[in-house]
Amino acid sequence: MNRLTSKLQNLKESNKKALVAYLVAGDPNLDTTLDLMHLFVDSGVDVIEIGVPFTDPIAEGPIIQKAHDRALKNNISLKMILELVDKFRETNTQTPIVLMGYLNTFISHIELVQSIGENSADSILVVDVPGELNLQTYGITNPNINIISLISPTTKDDRVESIAKNSTGFIYYVTLRGVTGSSNLNIEEIKNNIQKIQQYSDAPTMAGFGIKSVEDASTLAACSDGIVIGSSIVEMIADESKSKEFGRIGEYLREMKTAIS
Amino acid sequence: MTFSNSNFPDKEGFYGEYGGKFVPETLMYALEELENTYNKLKDNKDFIDEFYKDLSHFVGRPSPLYFAQRLTDHYKSGSIWLKREDLNHTGAHKINNTVGQILLAKYMGKKRIIAETGAGQHGVATATVAARLGLECHIYMGAEDVRRQSLNVYRIKLLGAHVHPVDSGSATLKDALNEALRDWVTNVDDTYYIIGSVTGPHPYPMIVRDFNSVVGKEVIEQSKDLFGKMPDAVVACVGGGSNAMGIFHPFIDIKETRLIGVEAGGEGVSTGEHAAPLNDGTPGVLHGARSYLMQDESGQVKDTKSVSAGLDYPGVGPEHSWLKDIGRAEYVAVSDDDALKAFHEVTELEGIMPALETAHAFAYLEPLMKELDSSTNVVVNVSGRGDKDINTVAEIDGIEF
Repeated sequence: MNRLTSKLQNLKESNKKALVAYLVAGDPNLDTTLDLMHLFVDSGVDVIEIGVPFTDPIAEGPIIQKAHDRALKNNISLKMILELVDKFRETNTQTPIVLMGYLNTFISHIELVQSIGENSADSILVVDVPGELNLQTYGITNPNINIISLISPTTKDDRVESIAKNSTGFIYYVTLRGVTGSSNLNIEEIKNNIQKIQQYSDAPTMAGFGIKSVEDASTLAACSDGIVIGSSIVEMIADESKSKEFGRIGEYLREMKTAIS
Repeated sequence: MTFSNSNFPDKEGFYGEYGGKFVPETLMYALEELENTYNKLKDNKDFIDEFYKDLSHFVGRPSPLYFAQRLTDHYKSGSIWLKREDLNHTGAHKINNTVGQILLAKYMGKKRIIAETGAGQHGVATATVAARLGLECHIYMGAEDVRRQSLNVYRIKLLGAHVHPVDSGSATLKDALNEALRDWVTNVDDTYYIIGSVTGPHPYPMIVRDFNSVVGKEVIEQSKDLFGKMPDAVVACVGGGSNAMGIFHPFIDIKETRLIGVEAGGEGVSTGEHAAPLNDGTPGVLHGARSYLMQDESGQVKDTKSVSAGLDYPGVGPEHSWLKDIGRAEYVAVSDDDALKAFHEVTELEGIMPALETAHAFAYLEPLMKELDSSTNVVVNVSGRGDKDINTVAEIDGIEF
């Protein structure tokens, strides 16, 4: 079974919530990204989401956009990211890895995406392909890769059902109208919508976009199968990229883990 | 009167293998709402009447098809006719589209208008129609373009709109579009996004084309009246491609008319320093649509180069990609130098100062007219006037005010 699917299943069976943490590959450089991935795991992260940098990341707020720009200055490509995952797998064969990016970078490297083996990345989230469209149309048919789709507060009920059906990894519920890192979570709306999704699908539902505080984390974890933290980590990475004092990130993730347990 | 004479796009918004709706999930509902509204209104008599009434009384349509005597004499071959979109209110073809889209916004009850702009013409055209309806208006513009087009920035502000300079990426049109999309993702409930070209996710390329097609429809009627047949060639500049699509589209089934799109060749297509994806790009996905794109081997979008802010865009409308592949339209490129030469030439010969974008279309007359004989009729789409470019041209000519 796919590493991601079994991990989320295990968590659900033991009544635990998943902590998904995001960083951009190559920000500030690939060696640091590798160190940070291990730090994530040591700090209680269940799933690592790796941002694949793109020149025009339209769903990202300023914090993650800048991280994409910094990574692109290092000419980070999907090939280098898969090599990074290989290195990570030398010492960690357990933690599922999701590649999150934009269609143009994946279809430009379609042969690489197709060649991803069992001991590599586990899942792909293509931000700019609507969930009811099949990624197979774009040549992504690799059985080792499962697919994560987004559902947002504006997704209509009929589409929720078809998107949920296409999602083989988990359903990523976008907790706000806006780009990554925005604020103003509407907790009531989120609760209702996640309940709606869970009526249609048994796939785990993760909540993400705009989660900053431990209060947000614990409230959202209570009504979902886990949470995704992105911008606040990326911001800390940017702040500490010179000092390399990433202890604060570990501390933050441990607090988040406690908050959702 | 209906808007469209083509079966494309298909139901999913594709023109052959180009187009589509590649957007974050948050925008899907907004696009669907827009598509439904447009499909309902495009055959609604009241809506069409209101649109054409605004085009005649607010924009000043129809624009003339003007015989360019001295340009014709200069090239000593066929007759050259100018479709005078530069005479429209606000000085470019862009107003045709914004007049139509603001009506959609009105019918949808949206209170807040956003738009991206490159040269600033679409920003001006959007701020103008928003002012007319008293709607809040925000214009995103690359910081580099804010510098190059300071006159239009001031015009937009005079019209009561807010200008947001965009520093990310290459700080030009594509980054302004990214930022406008982000605004729309965030404020989707009360905001209408007036996209400025035949680009972006479905249904935008179709809607912008349909509103701008008034240009080509007029040319067909005017050609009959003025020279009794269809033109042998129609020439238009192509950035995103809205002025070209507006004049090309009604001609798609008129096979005797050559359709020629002129892209920005920058330093020259062979140097790689240009904005000519149809000449030197490959299919890719940017801003919600699949189309020809300037990209590197990793799928990253390349920086573009053009003296003309309005053409400085790495992508192009999906329908142009389709017309290229099926061979219905030809796409060529001219360099910055040739465009600047044409800018001066047309200004001196005809007393018409074209926008630098439009000057690219004029520059292609040089090679084109050599192929044609004296019985031919060529129409150039004068997509906009050049007042906005005076600072740029003066700077290149080493003139300080």
